[in-house]
Amino acid sequence: MNRRARIEYGLGLGLAGLLLLVAIAPGLFAGAPDSVDIARRLAPPSAANWFGTDETGRDVYARVVHGAGTTLGIVGAAVLLAALIGGVAGAVAGFFGRLGDMALSRGADALLAFPPIILGVVVAATLGPGAVNLVLALGIIYAPVFFRVARAAALGEGARAYVEAARALGHGEWAVLLRHVGPNVLPTVLLQCVILFPLALQIQAALGFLGLGVPPPTPDWGASLQESRNYMTAAPWLAIFPGLALLVAALAAMLLGRGLQARA
Amino acid sequence: MLGALAGRLGAAAATAVLSTAAVFLLIRAVPGDVVGEMLGQSAGDQAAEAALRAFFGLDRPLWQQYLGWAGDVLRGDLGDSWRQGLPVAGIVGEAFLVTLQIGLVTLAVALLVGVPLGVVAGVRQGRWPDLVVEAFSLLALSAPVFWTGMVLLIAAGAWLGWSPPLIYAGPGENLSDNLESIALPVLALALLQAAAYAQFARQQTAMVMRQDFIRAAIARGLPARLVYGRHLLRNVAIPLVTFAGVILVQILGGVVVVETLFAIPGLGRTLLAAIQARDYPVLQGALLVAVLIALLVNLLVDLLYAAIDPRVRGA
Repeated sequence: MNRRARIEYGLGLGLAGLLLLVAIAPGLFAGAPDSVDIARRLAPPSAANWFGTDETGRDVYARVVHGAGTTLGIVGAAVLLAALIGGVAGAVAGFFGRLGDMALSRGADALLAFPPIILGVVVAATLGPGAVNLVLALGIIYAPVFFRVARAAALGEGARAYVEAARALGHGEWAVLLRHVGPNVLPTVLLQCVILFPLALQIQAALGFLGLGVPPPTPDWGASLQESRNYMTAAPWLAIFPGLALLVAALAAMLLGRGLQARA
Repeated sequence: MLGALAGRLGAAAATAVLSTAAVFLLIRAVPGDVVGEMLGQSAGDQAAEAALRAFFGLDRPLWQQYLGWAGDVLRGDLGDSWRQGLPVAGIVGEAFLVTLQIGLVTLAVALLVGVPLGVVAGVRQGRWPDLVVEAFSLLALSAPVFWTGMVLLIAAGAWLGWSPPLIYAGPGENLSDNLESIALPVLALALLQAAAYAQFARQQTAMVMRQDFIRAAIARGLPARLVYGRHLLRNVAIPLVTFAGVILVQILGGVVVVETLFAIPGLGRTLLAAIQARDYPVLQGALLVAVLIALLVNLLVDLLYAAIDPRVRGA
């Protein structure tokens, strides 16, 4: 890695670490996200309210800080869910091949045929609002991507000499898959988690913006952007700061993903 | 070549059938349907509900409903909207043209901005133009596209005192009103896709720049105009043209949210409205168009690739 790549990677690591800390322990950074103060409604950014206040006088900074756990938690859970389902199905399909592989591959293609946001809108609207349903919707979008990646990796590993050697030593097919092929497919799947994170984050935010995300008053960056729409000229800070938070989180994941890719 | 083409077409058709079937089942799997939405206050009237369900064919088994719909589609009939009573083909077709115009204009802007940026960054790797392009594309790729649109709206209002017209005007009605309507959505989408294009062009350029024939051309003392114009651009052009397909599909996806922000009556808004009203025929028609466009563009890209690069043929 050259100097610039190292700086980018370091920046990604630093930002990701900070965001993780904010998501896990928001109380360290800000007060309550839901203390209403009508007297101070729609106040612009100031020393008391760094990011201003919203239409009920809630502190936007506190809502952005507390929104990290909701937004990043949902995206993280969704990516892991997709990785688990898609990764396992892909590794099994790629390793064994045959009819099951055919059927699963067709199914993955059918889901991948939709632009992700359109699939997300349909699934999220069908399941209804809520954090768990959002995780499921995002999981359905990205499981086929993991399936493809894991399938290709397992297909490649299955043809390697060490697999042949393990078979020759009398290990069963499932044992070879679990003990030899699986551990070699895992890094590829984990890297894919980081690469897909910023994409899933954008979809999560878009669904929140369309009103298909987490219902109020839970703080969530995309939902905050939805609520800010009525005050875009009167109180632009309501739209600016949650969006900046999304930008920083996506940037951190993107820098991290590039760094890991360069190292792999 | 012909055999490979038939194979690709068959695979695309199979995918289309599977995708539409999956969606068909999914939207019907949830509790509540158009009947409940329509009856509203008088919900609970068993006879009325049963009559409406029978009228819409919702009382039949799912597979019968799907086969009936698919059969109609193959005959070119997308059915009528359950809420508006108008033919779905008209509603979805009109909305699609609105979205397509935005998509194509965005693609042109993204191409014109992104490719030069990416090529310059690739040629001047590690120097300041590369750093600037890299910083721009990282930021533009990180920002949610609808948020970019909001920021543009806020900025245009605060600094220029300008905001887009409240009611969308089609290109056929009044071209200057139309351009005002689509200016900000196109700009928001184009910033994102120009960044994607710049990254791809940079990577492709950097790859070609490492090749021996470029070094040889420079070593032979060819003027920069010839090195870059003839040797570099010719080799970068093919992947860049095919990448347009990827970008177009992405734009048509991204436009869904942007249309809601800017109140543009395109495919995305039609889709959302149909979901909320549980207007299944419109929803199915809009999704069918979305899937077919994505499949068609991917197929065209592959064919284009084979037509330009003989090595890909038959693979």
